[in-house]
Order: sequence, then structure tokens, then C-alpha cells
Amino acid sequence: MKTSGKSAWHVLLLGAVFMSLFPLVWMSGAALKTPNQIFAEFLNPVPKPFTLENLSYVWNRIPVLRYFLNSLVVAATVTVAQVSTSLLAAYGFTQFRFPGRDFLFYFALATVLVPVQVTMLPNYLLVADLGWLNTYQGLIVPQLANAFGIFLLRQAFRSVPASLIEAARVDGAGHWGVLRRVLIPSTRPAIVALSILVFINVWNEYFWPLLVGNDPRMLTLPLALQTFSNLEGGTSWGPMMAAASLTALPPLVAYLLAQRHVVESFLSTGLKG
Amino acid sequence: MKGLWRPYLFILPALVPLVLFTYLPLWRTLQLSFFDWNMISPDRKWAGLTNYRSLFESREFWMASWNTVKYTALLLLLNLAGPLLVAHGVTRVGRRWQAFYKGVIFAPAVVSLAVASVIFLWIFNPLVGAANALLGALGLPAPNWLSDYTWVIWALAAITAWKSFGYNFIVLLAGLLSVPKELEEAARVDGSSGFQITRRVILPLTSSTILYVLVSTVVLGSQYVFVPIEMLTGGGPNQASTNLVHLIYQFAFSFFKTGYAAAASVVTFLGFLALIFLQARVMERRVYYEN
Repeated sequence: MKTSGKSAWHVLLLGAVFMSLFPLVWMSGAALKTPNQIFAEFLNPVPKPFTLENLSYVWNRIPVLRYFLNSLVVAATVTVAQVSTSLLAAYGFTQFRFPGRDFLFYFALATVLVPVQVTMLPNYLLVADLGWLNTYQGLIVPQLANAFGIFLLRQAFRSVPASLIEAARVDGAGHWGVLRRVLIPSTRPAIVALSILVFINVWNEYFWPLLVGNDPRMLTLPLALQTFSNLEGGTSWGPMMAAASLTALPPLVAYLLAQRHVVESFLSTGLKG
Repeated sequence: MKGLWRPYLFILPALVPLVLFTYLPLWRTLQLSFFDWNMISPDRKWAGLTNYRSLFESREFWMASWNTVKYTALLLLLNLAGPLLVAHGVTRVGRRWQAFYKGVIFAPAVVSLAVASVIFLWIFNPLVGAANALLGALGLPAPNWLSDYTWVIWALAAITAWKSFGYNFIVLLAGLLSVPKELEEAARVDGSSGFQITRRVILPLTSSTILYVLVSTVVLGSQYVFVPIEMLTGGGPNQASTNLVHLIYQFAFSFFKTGYAAAASVVTFLGFLALIFLQARVMERRVYYEN
């Protein structure tokens, strides 16, 4: 009775595993298939024999390297910026007592309640007025800070024993020294988790780049995917799946390398895009 | 007294962008919603409540609202009930299997919705897609998913569900795993059946997690659905798949009715806020805390 109950659950769970993985497996298979294989054996995800035609097509005909670098520059810069501003703010909120401290913290935190469609119009107008449409700063500057990051690191800093910080102070460490030599090393897992989370979210972002980066040279990878389905006279599946695989690869690799960190960070914060 | 300004110096690098790119635009959206403007022309005309009035009188707004309700209902089915069942299943199997299921089922959550959209463009392709191949094998009628008035919403909701299933699953699993084993044992000793234990012990103790997933599915769901709508249907056929977020986007950036779009975003925002506050109230009053 007990084991048969268990295998019923396994059937359900393996179904969920299949649903999760099949689209990804098919995508990477199709990226390596010839057009004939894509149509003739469309349910079989295994490319046999496989071809690098699609990859060389997106490499040569479409500036996929450029899109990849656009995505990388934006995601890496935003990650460094958000982690830095969050570290500083978390330090300010945990290591000082000052008028308005709690108010300012909740004031910052409340920004998570504001969805992007409520702020997009004025932000678009501001970026346009600054002449930043189709520039890296237009894509990056509106995302320099992140309330989730402040929240997460404030929690982490609070868990660091006061005696450790006190000892460093006695040794003559200033604010900078305490942050660099005590707080950052002892909250490394939270910082790594936040960095991965931000990187994945920004890498995957669709909405904001859609508004401010429509010049073909400034597309990020998720937006570039659209160009394949808009082609006149049908979709070029092979190249599209090659580009989709390249878009999915960095977040999946980050996930594989730091699975526990990623799951924990998604749990304690949230995800977008 | 010299270092009085110092804490503010640490906070400002985070606070300034949040004020400039969240609070200020929030205020400006509210302002814009009272003007008649096309985003380009130098003169903005004060319009009072005209934008709101024409919004509530327009067919598109109610259609988009109704579609938003339909998307939300489907997402609650696929992304709350589904992950809850799967998470419950994971608590019933051995530890080693747990790690495997957790790792794999979460994976789509790190993939971009844009990638999900193009993969499902194939899955829902009427000629060479997996969905219709499966339906055909079962002898069921196969719709032309993305250009069918009814099924387009199912298809786009399914894409969004595929991406966010894993996140909700992990959150719900954490909630379920935090239920103390002793409580379950005690109920079993008292002679409760497995179903009764689930209903009387496990579900009440995870209710705050379930409520969180419910509200975030409603609020984030309509933002997530935007990506497949914009990439695959553009709101079509004939606006059948548009939702409120997409409507705002279209009014702002395709029809250049800035004030009207601003009014629509204010109304949507107030709706979401009401929901979030309702959640907070319910959490305070009726829901059991699990830790």
C-alpha cells in the first residue's frame, strides 16, 4: 500500500519533470538540426546527424555576438551597481542610528509594490529627454538600485555578531574596513545569491529594453529573438532555436553551478521577467 | 556632531535611483492621467477626469480587464493548484529524490520568458507543433492556438505557467516542509486519514505561503503574460488576447494616447494595491503563521 502510493507520486512528479525539460531539450536539439529534420521528425528532440549550420547562420548573418555582448554589458553592470548600492545601504541601515532610519528603509522597500507599467511612461520620457534612447546608459541607469537587494543584505548584516564588528573597530577599522573585512566576508552566501538573482533577472528582461533599445544594434538577446518570428513568409526555426539556446544558456549555467544559492535567493526575494 | 550626515551618505546611492525612477515617475503618471497629450506635441491640455471617463466607457478597457481575469483564473489553476500538488508529492518521496525533483522542476524559472515564448511558438504550431501532434494522437480536435479567439488565452497562459511553475513550486514546497512532522504524526495516531491530515493540518499551516503565491500570481502574472502577448500575438486576433498591461503599452507606444495610458496604469495599480492590502489584512487575521 505504502510503496504503491509512492510510485503514484513518482508518476506525477516524472510528468512534471518531463513538462519542465522537454521544451528546453527540444530547443537545444532543434538548434542542431537541419531544416528537414525539424519538419520531418518534429517530435524527436535528438538531432541525427547534427549540424552547426544554424549556429553559424546566427553568428554570420545576425550580429548575435553583438546582442550577446549587449546583454552581458547591461546585466553585468546592473548586477555590480545593484549589489554595491545594496551593500552600502544595508551598512547604513544596520550600523547607524539616525533620525528617519526606519521610515527611509520602508520607503525604499515599498518600491517593490510599484509595477513597471506604472512608471514606464515617465521613465521613457525622461530617458528620451536625456537623449539616452538606444544607449547603454538608458538601459542601465534606471536600474541602479534594488529594494529587494537592500532588504536581503540588511537581513544578512543583522545576523553578523556585534562582537565581531566591535573587535574590528577596536583594531582600528573604519566604516570601510568593517564593511570589507567583516561584513562582506561573513555574508558571502547572501551576496553571491543576490548577484546571481539580479544577473538572471536583468539578463532575461524584456519590457524595459523593448521601450528604450529598439535600434537593431542595441537589442539584447531576448528582444533579438522576436526578429525571427517576424520574418516574412514564416519562421526560421533552426536559427531561432540556436539564438534561443544562446539566450537560455548563461542563466542555466549559473543555475547549474550555484543551484543551492539560486534556489535560496529566489525563495527569499522574488523574480521578474 | 560632525558625522551626523554620514549614515545618509551610505543610503543615498540606493535611495536616489529609487526616488528618481520609481517615486517620481509614479507621481508623474498620476499627473499625466489628467492631461490630454500625444507624447510629442508641445502643448498638453488639462483634461480633468476625461481620460478616466473615456477609459471606463471604452470597450477595449473592459475587454482587456475581462481577459486579465481569464488569464488570472488559468494561472491560478496552472500555477497555484498545480505546483501545490507537485510540491505535496515531493514531500511524499525519499530525500534523494526530493533533491532531484527540486533541481529539475525549478529549472525553467531561470529561463527568459522570451525564450519560453519562441519555444512554445513551435509547440503551438498547428502543423509541426507538439501540442497538436499529441491531441491528434488522442483523436482530439486540434485548434489553431494562437489565432483562435478562445484558445489563444489558454496558449499564452500556458507559456507563462511553464516559466513560473518552478518558482511557485519551490516556495510552496518550503512552506510544506516547514510543517512540523510531530503534528502530522499526532493526527495519524488520532486515526486521521491521509486526506484528513492534508486538509486539517497541512493546508491550514501553509495558508500564508499559499496566500502569498496566490497574490503574486495575480499581480506578477499579468506582467509576465505581457511578454508572450507582445512577442506572439500583439494582442490579437482582434484584441482577443490583450490584457491590461498590454493595453497600457499599446495606448502609450502604439497609439500615443499618453493621458489615457496613464489613467489605465493608475487604475490597474490601484487594483493591485487593493489586492496586496487585502492579503496583508487576511494574513493578520485569519491565517496561521508557520514560523
